[in-house]
Amino acid sequence: MSVPDLGRFSDPSILILASLAGGKKHGYAIMEDIETIARVRLGTGTLYGAIARLEEHGLIEALPAEERGRRPYCLTPAGMIFLREQLTCMETFAALGLQRLAAL
Amino acid sequence: MSIQKLLLYLYPRIWRDRYGEEFLVVFASHPFSLFEGIDVIRGAFDAHLHPRLGTTALPASERMRKMLSTLRDSLLTIFCAYTGFIMAGMGFQKMTEDAAFQQAGQAVMLVGLSFHLVVIGAVVALLTVLIGGLPIAVAVIRSALVRKRYRLVLWLSVPLLACAALLLTTWLVKAIDHPGVQPVWHLFLNRGTLLGVLIAAFITSAGALCQAVIHSEIPEKLLHFAVLPSILVTFSMALILAATLTWGLVLGEAAPQFFTGNGGLVGTSTISSWLGIVIIMTMSTGLSTVSLLRGLSARFALYNAAL
Repeated sequence: MSVPDLGRFSDPSILILASLAGGKKHGYAIMEDIETIARVRLGTGTLYGAIARLEEHGLIEALPAEERGRRPYCLTPAGMIFLREQLTCMETFAALGLQRLAAL
Repeated sequence: MSIQKLLLYLYPRIWRDRYGEEFLVVFASHPFSLFEGIDVIRGAFDAHLHPRLGTTALPASERMRKMLSTLRDSLLTIFCAYTGFIMAGMGFQKMTEDAAFQQAGQAVMLVGLSFHLVVIGAVVALLTVLIGGLPIAVAVIRSALVRKRYRLVLWLSVPLLACAALLLTTWLVKAIDHPGVQPVWHLFLNRGTLLGVLIAAFITSAGALCQAVIHSEIPEKLLHFAVLPSILVTFSMALILAATLTWGLVLGEAAPQFFTGNGGLVGTSTISSWLGIVIIMTMSTGLSTVSLLRGLSARFALYNAAL
C-alpha cells in the first residue's frame, strides 16, 4: 500500500486515527479524546483539515449523521493498516531511543 | 451572525457543503480565541489551495466535472496574473530604455546581469504562454464554429480591437503633443490617458479571452497539457521578480543618483515607479503561485480518478 502524503497534517492525522481506533466518533468527540489521550488540543481548522485529508485518502469514512452537525467517522481497513504501520514505526523508534538512553 | 459562521464563509463552498455543519458544532463548542481564529483562517487557506478536499462524497462524474472546472479556472487565473505581470514588465522596460540606465547596466555587472535575466524570463514566459495557450485558443475557435456560437469569436477578437484602440490613442497623443516645454498637467493628461487606455486594453483583453474559454468546450487533454507551461510561466515570473528586485537594490546602492530623479513612469519619481512595478509583480506572482497549487491539486484528483 502506498503511504499517503498528509503534509503538515500528518501528526493530527495519526492522532485522529488513533482516536478512531477506539471506536467511531464525531468531530467534537475526536477532539476531546485526543486531548485526553495525547494532551493535545487541536484547533477546529487543523482537525477538519486532517479529517478531509484522511477521508480523501480513504483512511476514514463518514457514517450517516446521528443528529444535526454530529456525523461520526470510523476507520476503514486501509486506515487500520496505515495506522498499524505508523505505530509500529514509532514503537521501533521508541525502543531504539530507549535502548540508546539505557546505554548512557 | 456569529464570528464562527463568518469565519466558516472563508472556506470554499464545496467544503462548506460537506463539513460546514459539523465544523460549526465543534467550533462553537468552546469559547472563541485568537488561536482558534488563526487556526481556522489557516485551514480555510489550505482548503482553497487543495480544492479536491471535501469532494469525496460527490458522485464520481460530478467530482471530475468540478475538478476540471477548477483546473480550467486556475489556468485562466494564471493567465490573468501573467497579464498583470506583463503590464508591470512593460513599465520596467519603458523605465530602463533611458540611455543612463543602459550605461549603468554596463558599468555595474550585477545590474546588467539582472536586466538580462529579466529579458530571458520574459522570453521564456511568453513562449510557454503561447505553447500552452494556442491549442486552447484553437479549441475555442473550433468550438465556436461547430456550435455556431460566433459570440465566442467576437470575444477572441477583443484583444485585436483593444490593440487598435491603443494604437489610435498613441497616435492621438503624439498628434497633440507639441515639442518643447509643456505644462505639467498637459504631460500628465497625455501620458495618463495613454496609461489608462493601456490598462483598460489589458483588462478587457484578458477578461474577453477568459470568457471565451469558459463558454467553450475545451478538451480535457489540452487543459492537462497546459499545466506544465503554467508551471514554467510561474517560475519565470518569480525569476523576473527576483531579477527586478536585485536590479533596483544593486542600482540604488551603486548609483543612488538614478533613484533620486523623476525618470519613472509618466514623469513620476524613479524609486516610486520601481517600487510600484515590484509590488505589481509580487502580487501577480503570488496569485499565479496560489492558482498553480490549486490547479495541481485538481490535476492530482483527476489523475487519481483516471487510474
